[in-house]
Amino acid sequence: MNLITALARLLIFPGLLFAVPVAWFFLWVERKSVAMMQERIGPPFMQPFFDFIKLLGKSTPSRSGVDGLLMKAWPLIAVSAAVGAVGLLPVLPSSGGFEGDLILLLALLEVPAICIIAAGFSSRSLFGEIGSAREAVLTVSYNIVFLLAIVSIAFSQHTFRLEALAQLPATPLRYLGVLAILVCIPAKLHINPFSLPNAEQEIYSGPLTEYAGPELAMWQLSHGLEWVAATGLVATLALPHVAFWWLGIPIFAAFSFGIVLLLSVLAAATARLAIDTTVRFYWQCTLVFAVLAISSALFMRIRS
Amino acid sequence: MNILTMMWRNVRRGAMTLRFPARPPVPSGFRGLVRFDPALCTGCAVCRFRCTARAIAFSSAKTEFTWSYDPGQCTFCGRCVEGCKTHALSQEPSCPPVYLTIGNLKTSYTLARKPPAPKNGAAAPPPAGDRTKQPTKGDAQ
Repeated sequence: MNLITALARLLIFPGLLFAVPVAWFFLWVERKSVAMMQERIGPPFMQPFFDFIKLLGKSTPSRSGVDGLLMKAWPLIAVSAAVGAVGLLPVLPSSGGFEGDLILLLALLEVPAICIIAAGFSSRSLFGEIGSAREAVLTVSYNIVFLLAIVSIAFSQHTFRLEALAQLPATPLRYLGVLAILVCIPAKLHINPFSLPNAEQEIYSGPLTEYAGPELAMWQLSHGLEWVAATGLVATLALPHVAFWWLGIPIFAAFSFGIVLLLSVLAAATARLAIDTTVRFYWQCTLVFAVLAISSALFMRIRS
Repeated sequence: MNILTMMWRNVRRGAMTLRFPARPPVPSGFRGLVRFDPALCTGCAVCRFRCTARAIAFSSAKTEFTWSYDPGQCTFCGRCVEGCKTHALSQEPSCPPVYLTIGNLKTSYTLARKPPAPKNGAAAPPPAGDRTKQPTKGDAQ
């Protein structure tokens, strides 16, 4: 991948220019479908875009010192990392990539969560600190499973390159890994039943309580981009390889859309779990599958 | 699985939210806007005394008094209606209207004072002056 290709992927497709409208679309789909399942009308199609523009036009209270600077920096870092993660997705067949881009993608996917934790503590709000503490515990809980699942997939197929993974024929082990990733995504995206870091009835918006205006707009954008990156990662790992780009892109988009709908159904059908129940769920129930996946990957590696 | 069935039913049934200006039906005995009957009012001002939200204002002179009501401040508790011995007040069984400006729904009545009732059962003298005036909307005071 040369510099021009990398910049085109980061800024145009599937990066910033493509991912931002898709992020707003996914946010709308989630809100609208949950509303329909709750007998509400839901927001109009352009609402996430209107929210973003409206927030950009608002002024924020001035904060002095290092805290103020950090509070401005965290959402920008989160958006940049999320755009980078989306830019690495092999949406187009034979779109390049490099050995180890899966590891970079995982690292970039973690950055928004770390930024949210840091933002909550930087804001010096009680609700922010509680939300950050919850986010930290949640991140530690689901990431063990998430990382083990992805490593087992990559390990069993002898590559950490996303495009190669997308092109290789899927194995039962890969589907087991994708299932484990799917279980982790609601926690990654803070939707029910794992929405405890931003439990609005208890701690307002958690780490984002003190945020307003353009900074809050950036957090919302980062959240939308996380949706795109997470669903795109699952689509990359779960979908069979398609040689034609004109067929590959619609299949990729339709699959991602299906995952968004599935997650919306989960969000509408469940209530928020407490922190101890969430931790127990990931450490006791889901970890078994992840360990099974990694041990199977090791076994396959030894056999081959 | 019950919740999934319920959600599917909700999706098929469509949204239950009413779009403005449609209003939801109200049950019988619903406490809506306070209605005022000037013919029955004696100007005792008990309603003003009972109104904790200060939606009812009352000013009095020797020959006339002014009764005004601002639904924007009303909590529709119904204490004024309960306290009105002449039943000059009642409540509409419908949702209060929407207003865009403070005091837009305010109504004001200026009425002539009724002479005191005769003590020995004698016939009451005719009322002095104009008894009622038309309610004036938006008469912010």
